[in-house]
Order: sequence, then structure tokens, then C-alpha cells
Amino acid sequence: MSQPVLTLKSPEEPPKTTPHLLPCRVHHTGPVDPVEAFWEPKHADDGTTTAYFRGRKLHGKTVKLPEGYRGVVAAPAPKGDGKDGAAGVVHVDASKGTASLNVQAEFDEMVVWGHEAVADAGDPYVRGMEEWLALADQIHGFDEGKGK
Amino acid sequence: MARTRASKGSAAATAKAKADKTAAAASAPRTYSLAPESESPPRLFIIPKTATPAAQIVTLQNPRYARPARYFVCPEAGFFECTKITTPTSAPRSWLLENATDENGAKKEGLDSQMAQDAELYAVTPIDPIFLLLPGLASIKGARSGAETKAPKKRMFMSSDDHFDALSEPNNHLSEVLRLPGLREKLEARMAAVCDTVDAADEQMFRLNESKLLDEILSKAKRMSNQGLPKSMEEKFVKKALEAPIMGIRSQPLANAGTKPDSTLSSSSTPQPDSADSQSTVSSVETSATSLSEASTAATSISSESTPGTNGSEAVTNAMTASEEIIKLQRLRIAFNFICSCYIAPSLAETLKSMLTADATKSRVDFKPLDEYLAQLAKLRQDAAAARSTDYSRKRAADDEEDERAEKRRKKEEEEKAKKAKQSRGVKELMKVNTTGMKKMSDFFKKK
Repeated sequence: MSQPVLTLKSPEEPPKTTPHLLPCRVHHTGPVDPVEAFWEPKHADDGTTTAYFRGRKLHGKTVKLPEGYRGVVAAPAPKGDGKDGAAGVVHVDASKGTASLNVQAEFDEMVVWGHEAVADAGDPYVRGMEEWLALADQIHGFDEGKGK
Repeated sequence: MARTRASKGSAAATAKAKADKTAAAASAPRTYSLAPESESPPRLFIIPKTATPAAQIVTLQNPRYARPARYFVCPEAGFFECTKITTPTSAPRSWLLENATDENGAKKEGLDSQMAQDAELYAVTPIDPIFLLLPGLASIKGARSGAETKAPKKRMFMSSDDHFDALSEPNNHLSEVLRLPGLREKLEARMAAVCDTVDAADEQMFRLNESKLLDEILSKAKRMSNQGLPKSMEEKFVKKALEAPIMGIRSQPLANAGTKPDSTLSSSSTPQPDSADSQSTVSSVETSATSLSEASTAATSISSESTPGTNGSEAVTNAMTASEEIIKLQRLRIAFNFICSCYIAPSLAETLKSMLTADATKSRVDFKPLDEYLAQLAKLRQDAAAARSTDYSRKRAADDEEDERAEKRRKKEEEEKAKKAKQSRGVKELMKVNTTGMKKMSDFFKKK
């Protein structure tokens, strides 16, 4: 199956968002406003973050993106350049095989939630963030001038 | 709180049903109907800030598995790979995208809060384009080696176009990538770093040079290991791999061995004061380990430094500790293997590894101290395992067998007893009767 070439289309100043990684699967994809009705994370003075989700206590661990990276929330562009998030078919230009992803929001940190416990360093998301990004830079960094 | 349940629970079922339920549970103004699922699920990317809006996500061949994979290319910043971070099905997760609040806690204009069922995160990290080119460069080699396996590599010099052609497939976008301004030059520059080049009729021709490639990868591995491996890797592959089995030796003989770094193996093993029999074997191994590390000048200072620490009243110590140099070598090896196993096709990786071990004596890296240490360690582990098994498990195993047999016998007897107990008195009495010559009961029911 051939996949289209995707381009990222970004508005001038995308709104900020905070991705929360819930320790459960929610079988829904789409808008869930008003979110404050069921999601109120509390930041305690000692730096911990807790929230109650359907009566269960969750502990949050804020993971900052490393220097030089930014987070982007993007969705396939709906047909006819409609509003973001509107239902629609992914617009694919058949002749060129291109499609675009619309950047909906940006983030510079995310919160990994654990049920009754704080996510530890072994968590794939935490580890990916803290270790892999730095490691990739080390492996793949190269001297531009050296090749010539 | 009712609405909390409603809007969350609605995740499971359809929006309509949910709205009805809430209507029953809560007063009318407090109900919200869940918006319909969006057909274009949001995806989360982590992209480098250097990427420009002209960047594209394309499909290229994965150099390791020779399968199409997604890459992120930017005319300015170069090539990036997309690593999908996802959760195992055993620990399902979902994203909740909360739109940011300002200082007053008021919602800002912008994105609605959203749910995304699949907790996927795409990390876009730099990749050296050299790896993307390798399958093309190496495939020529594969075609060649079929004809002449032993002869020195007779790869042809080819123009970059031919190399790119070798990589192009109907379902990857290499040709589109090459059309982007600037990227072609980037690729060619990287190609030159691992190839022999020849200028022919104002065109540069390339031929893969494996020793150049090896140097390139080794320098990457060095950079990776010098800055320290990530914590989880360090823990698993360096510490664990070099860790000696824990032995119950007193620190006294260990300190003796350490304070005499100049003494030879035989002399240092003799002055052990009053160690028990089981200890003497262990400590002789220990001394041989220190004499091993003497070979490297850097290591001796460390081993003598560590002795004051071991003079303390530790009851349990490791039988062997790896010197700084050995740890460094192990790190380097892990880094090298990691790069090979992630970005280089298996066959090519094999050649590179054998090249590395073959010419270790010459220039690049000498893994010899590490290999010696590992051999020592393997022996030590084996000894420890053997000691343990002779001490306890052997005996226990024999006992178990005997126990098992006894158990079986007992069971059999018990079964027989139970059978006998069940039989009625009449049956028991009849058993004494001699039935030979009598007709069997079944005879009466046979067809005539």
C-alpha cells in the first residue's frame, strides 16, 4: 500500500495544549468538551500532580520536551479546507499522491498519568522522551563539512 | 458528578444514548451530549524546531528491514526518522488533549479538548541519511558477490543517480525527495563520506568503501558511548553484563591482593591468611583479575584506589569488578552493536563486525581487554553456578528422585487398598471360588 506524501500545514500561531496520557483506554476519538467537568488536575505545593478520573486517583508526571523539540498535534486535513476537527474525508490529490496534516495545536510538555502510582523511568513514553531523543542526536549527528 | 460519569462513560457507547442517560440522572442544563467522533483522529508528533514548513513526511525504505517506513524530510534540516511510541495492549492508554488555560484559569480560544483513543506518539528524530543510502550502495555488492565470493570486492563506481535508482521503488518517495531543493546535495555529501569517489567527465562516481563506513559508524559509537549511554541501556547491557556473581568473601583477602599490584599471580595468591577452602578458589580468581587489569596502565590506579573502600567491613562483595577501561569498551561495543542492529542490514552488519574484530590490532579499537575480562567472567559464573549446584541442588535433586519413587509406591498401595475396601463381601467370597471350566456369563448372551 503506498502512502501519500504528507505535508504539515501550520497556522501562524497554533494554540497551546497539554496532552495527558491516561492510564486507560477511552473508546472515543473526538472533542470531549467541557473537559473541566471530569478532568481537574491539581498541582500540590510539593510538586506532585494528582487528578481523579472516574473516582480513581491518578498521579501525574510532567515530562518536558527536550531542548530543540516541539510537540505538535496534527490531524489529516478534512476535505475542502474545512474547519479543524470537522468530519471529512482525507483530501488526497490522486495525481501527486500528496495529503496534508493540519497542525491543530502545539505543546511543550506532556503529563504521563499513572493509576495510584507515578510513572517511572521505565515507562516507554518517559524513556522515549528522556533517552531516545538525546540518543538519536548523538548517533546521527554528523559534520556537514566532513563529507566534502 | 453525574455529568462527569455521563460524558466519560459516553466514550464507550454512542453519544445519543449517553445524552438520554444523563437526562435521567441530572437536571437538564447540566447534561451535555458528546460530540460525534471525528473521522480524522489527531496525531501527536514531536518534531525538531529546526524543521521548516516545507518539510514532508515521506515513505522510504527502512535500511535495516528493507521495508517501507515513514521518514520526515526537510530541505533545510535534513532527514529525520519517525519513531512510533505506543503502549502494549496489556497497558492500554489514551490521550486526553486539554486545551491550555491562562493564568486566570479561563479557557483560551483555540482547540477543543479532545480524546484520542490510540495513545500513539511519533517522535521525529534526526537520522543520518547515510543509513538510508546504504541498502542501495550495498545491493550492488550483493549482486557482485554472487559471482565471486572470495575475490576482493569488485564494486563498480557508479554515479549517484544509479545509486538512487537502486533505492527507488514504486511505493517509496525517494524521487520526490530528490526533487526537493538541497536534499540531493546533502545525500551526495554523505555518500562521499563512506565511498571512494572518482571524477569522470564532470560527474562524481561513488563506490562503497566498507572500511570508511566502519570508521564512520565507529566514530558514531564513540560519540554515543563517550556521552554516556542512556540510563536503561547502561543498566541492562553494561552493568549487568559486567557484573560478577556475588560471593561471600571477607574483604581482608581482597585488600591484600589489591595492595600488592606488582606481585605476580602465584605470589599474591600465597599470602592469603586463613581463608576457608571455598574462599581460596574465589580469591585466586580475583587476583588473576587484578593481574589482568595491570596490563592496562590506567586500570591499576583504579584498582588500588578502590582498596580503601573494600577495607571496610563489607561481608559480601563482588568477586570481580570491571575497571574503567573495560566499562568503556563495553559501552563502545554496545553502542556499535546498537547502531548496527537498528540501521544496517543484517548481512552488511555482519561484515562490519567481522572487520572490526579482524583488524582490532591495527588501529581502530582493541577489544582484547574486554574479551579477556568477559572470558574470565564467564568462567567465574560457571564456577559459581557449579559450586552452588554441587552444594545444594545436586543432593536435593537426588533426594527428590527418591522421594518421588517412594511417593509413587505409596500411592499405588493406597489405591489398591481403596479398591479392596470397596468390594462387597459377596464378591470377595466369590473370588475364592475356582471358576475354571465354568461357563462365562457372556456366553449366555451370544448370538446363536
